[in-house]
Amino acid sequence: MSRSRKLLLYLILFIISLTTIFPFLWMLSSSFKTMGEIFSLTPKFIPSKLFKPGMWENYRMILQEYNFIRFILNSFMVAGFAALGQLFTCSLGGFAFARMDFRGKEIIFALMLATMMMPIQVTIIPEYFIMLKLDWYNTFLPLIIPSILIGSFGTFLFRSTFENMPSSMEEAAFIDGVNDWQMYYKVFLPNAKPALASLFIIAFMNNWNALLRPVIYIDKPSLYTITMGLAMFRGNYGTQWHLLLAGSVISILPLLLIYITMQKYFVRGMLTSGTKG
Amino acid sequence: MRKSLIITILAILLVSVFAFAVMAETTTIRYFMWDPEFKDLEQELINQFEKENPDIKVEFTALEPSNYWPKISAMASAGELPDVFNMSSGYVDQWARDGLLMNIQDKVDQLPADDYFTKVFSTMRYPDKESSDMYGIPYAWVTTVLYYNKDMFDTAGVEYPSDNWTWEDFRKATQKLTLDENEDGVPEQYGFWWYGRYAHVEPWIYANGGRILNQEKTRIAVDDKAKEAIQFLADLSNKYNVSPPKKDTVGIRQNDMFPLQQTAMWVDGSWNIAHIRNMSQGAFDWGIAKVPAGPSAEPGEYNAYGWPDSIVISKTTSNKDAAWKLVKYLIGKNRPLESYMAGKVPIYKSLANSEEWLEKDKKPQEMDIILELGENMGRTSFTIGWGEWRGYADTGGAGMNGVLDSITNGEMTVEEAITTFTKYGNEVLERYYPEQ
Amino acid sequence: MQYRKFTPWLFLIPTLLGLILFRLGPMLAAGLASFTRWSVFSPPEWIGLGNYIELFNSDVFLLILRNTIIFSLLFVPGVMAVALLLAVLVNNRLKGMTFFRGLFYLPVITSVVSIGVIWSWILSPRFGLLYQLVSKFFNVVRLPSFLGDARYALLTLIVVYIWKMAGYFMILFLAGLQNIPEIYYEAATIDGASIWQKFRHITLPLLSPTTFFILIMSLITSLKTFELTYIMTQGGPNYASSTLIFSIYVNAFKHFRMGYASAMSYILFIMVGVVTYLNFKFKDRWVNYSE
Repeated sequence: MSRSRKLLLYLILFIISLTTIFPFLWMLSSSFKTMGEIFSLTPKFIPSKLFKPGMWENYRMILQEYNFIRFILNSFMVAGFAALGQLFTCSLGGFAFARMDFRGKEIIFALMLATMMMPIQVTIIPEYFIMLKLDWYNTFLPLIIPSILIGSFGTFLFRSTFENMPSSMEEAAFIDGVNDWQMYYKVFLPNAKPALASLFIIAFMNNWNALLRPVIYIDKPSLYTITMGLAMFRGNYGTQWHLLLAGSVISILPLLLIYITMQKYFVRGMLTSGTKG
Repeated sequence: MRKSLIITILAILLVSVFAFAVMAETTTIRYFMWDPEFKDLEQELINQFEKENPDIKVEFTALEPSNYWPKISAMASAGELPDVFNMSSGYVDQWARDGLLMNIQDKVDQLPADDYFTKVFSTMRYPDKESSDMYGIPYAWVTTVLYYNKDMFDTAGVEYPSDNWTWEDFRKATQKLTLDENEDGVPEQYGFWWYGRYAHVEPWIYANGGRILNQEKTRIAVDDKAKEAIQFLADLSNKYNVSPPKKDTVGIRQNDMFPLQQTAMWVDGSWNIAHIRNMSQGAFDWGIAKVPAGPSAEPGEYNAYGWPDSIVISKTTSNKDAAWKLVKYLIGKNRPLESYMAGKVPIYKSLANSEEWLEKDKKPQEMDIILELGENMGRTSFTIGWGEWRGYADTGGAGMNGVLDSITNGEMTVEEAITTFTKYGNEVLERYYPEQ
Repeated sequence: MQYRKFTPWLFLIPTLLGLILFRLGPMLAAGLASFTRWSVFSPPEWIGLGNYIELFNSDVFLLILRNTIIFSLLFVPGVMAVALLLAVLVNNRLKGMTFFRGLFYLPVITSVVSIGVIWSWILSPRFGLLYQLVSKFFNVVRLPSFLGDARYALLTLIVVYIWKMAGYFMILFLAGLQNIPEIYYEAATIDGASIWQKFRHITLPLLSPTTFFILIMSLITSLKTFELTYIMTQGGPNYASSTLIFSIYVNAFKHFRMGYASAMSYILFIMVGVVTYLNFKFKDRWVNYSE
């Protein structure tokens, strides 16, 4: 790339990132403010307590008095298990859809996609009765199991990933005498790292942000997830914005961390087979 | 040796039987509350209650309102309702009609009536608000007041609002308090701020003796006095330009208009006192007054708009007496005043009349006005489906709320707006009250 | 050489279990509920087609349906174009790309309430950032109320949603871009192809399976998200920015009309079903698989 072209590219990237970082910065700086400061007529980006005593007051409050560390650990459990589980079930299911022929394949796939459209608001009450029958109330199971068992998004993602891989790979492996499981696990899965990484990012985020299921299925404060913790700052007659925003910052840090670690798998040439084309 | 063994075993048995008996006598009450902001204070109150009543254990959960209602509803559908829980004035009719709440009239009758603000009890009656039995009891109530910025009044040389202010006086004051110094047609300081919300509009309607519902409260029927009130508000925005259109205020929370000194006056719920203190940080001097009585109000009669927040007992509770014991405790004298945000009034009178509640050292100095208004309350527009036709809370863009905003946005006339929300509202009400 | 007959069923055990227990079961129950009047807290009462009849006689519902269609028609192509642009921009080996990838992802994870508050302020007709910028150059008293005016509210929301979700689909495009072998580009460079030509004749066709996947997913997203609506306009003014899913949420959890909300959900379900089916049907016309 020529020098001037590079410069132009960086300029474009810079301008776009200005718009994407702006609300984030506001959230970050507001998390150090007092309530009155947050909603002044023209927002100030420098909190008055910055680098002064009491700067961390909001954070101290939520970590010490609101037990946020506990909530974070709980959310890590829920989102971590759900996302890891999805990597397995979705890639397995996606592999079957992509590479095998069986009766009713397209119907099952269509059902899986279409039912994704049913808003959780209308299915949660029937689901609640199922969970009560299973005696899963006040456990993490209702938050983890449905998400692991049926990940339409992930299954579809892996279906299109695996479908797009060359069949020469498959044929060569069959000749080497691999069985069906090995075909999935040893031949195809290692080539799907970008898909695995993106599914992990997205599945973790979705489960981390989920609010309705935790509210319905969890009563015990010791089992609260971080979203339930954040909801505590909203009262019947007003919201404690300074705490809510500090809590929000804490709650998105893990997401950012996971995204940054995972995205190193997005490197061209990941596909180990040079057989394509 | 053997003897002592037998004695030991007997002793252990005896102790465990005794312990078991005590355990068996302990009843557990589940209590759900909707204000997590005051969770810790509530927990302290409960601990105190448990200490005084060692045979009752309370399992307490606090959830924010937008999670509270789905959760409680799901629990009700599975027959798992908590024994004691919070109930809003807007939902109580439906919950009582559907037989989910315990009739507590006989228990309320035993309370010393003089100790409580009994005017607001009527909201908890069903079906008739005057004569029927109560299905819940308030622990606090709120009303609506006129907030005014004393500094702006002083600068403009306008006298502070008084009890005998007429609407005409009020309007003249708003005109003097509206400032457009650069003369671009958009004032930098407005005299007043209102939009379609219930706490902004109904106070004026009631202060004019008007009604938006029929006598039985089963249909929308806006009477002339109510129309007069809506027209008065509409003129403030459209004719006199002393109140901004709703669409111009995007980006400012509606309850920040007054504390951020964008407007000199504002009518809203008394719970905003805490908010204004927080937001303004003493930047200006302000006070509260009664919403002026309208030109068509019956002389000597004044209706203030307000409503209670209440506690109910589930009809299916297996521990009726223990549950009532808890409820009585929660509405009583032991509740710490800090668990009422400034402007929210304890139902227990001596708490409300205390120095700590009146807070004479803080703004506003006129807190007693709120207590006076407590004796003028009673009329409300709550029905089953109220939130739906009124456009309550998170649906502020809908229903009557959205339509009234269209007036200030210049998209509808008052007549059109009233026709529109009457039609829509009656479609809602016909579903819940089919026979007329 | 092929897979054993029962292998797919073995591999699909979790999916099938989940589909039946947590999807079809509750969905069927919601289907039944759509024929009832049901406040959740009280037992449902059978009213036949009552909810559906009410829906199609309601002016508000028809407006909401129209809003939903406009929303999807604009959001889907918008977000796909922006996401693809971002993905292509950061999919090179220059320094600092990890950093920019991170920045572009920020709107996806920034809390929805923060986004709502800050955008409302930016667009505020008298105090907002946009007003302050514009009034430096032009003599304006106030900007149009992008969120408060019935004419613009929906469009404005769409723009903010695109801004928020572009980073999300960028990741998926990025993952797809990795699967295009470098060789093709090298060959094209030797042949003297321009950047645009490479994009048009290598990237786009080879990316088409990913593009198809993202098309379906962004369509579903467009019909399923409402959190920002709830924070920024509450569906207002006067229903101008209400979409189906927002209305389902409000009816289910604010008005407790579960039967009515279920009926709406089925209409949504049928709409998506048809669109998705059409997409799959015409997929072969433009999606190339590698063999």
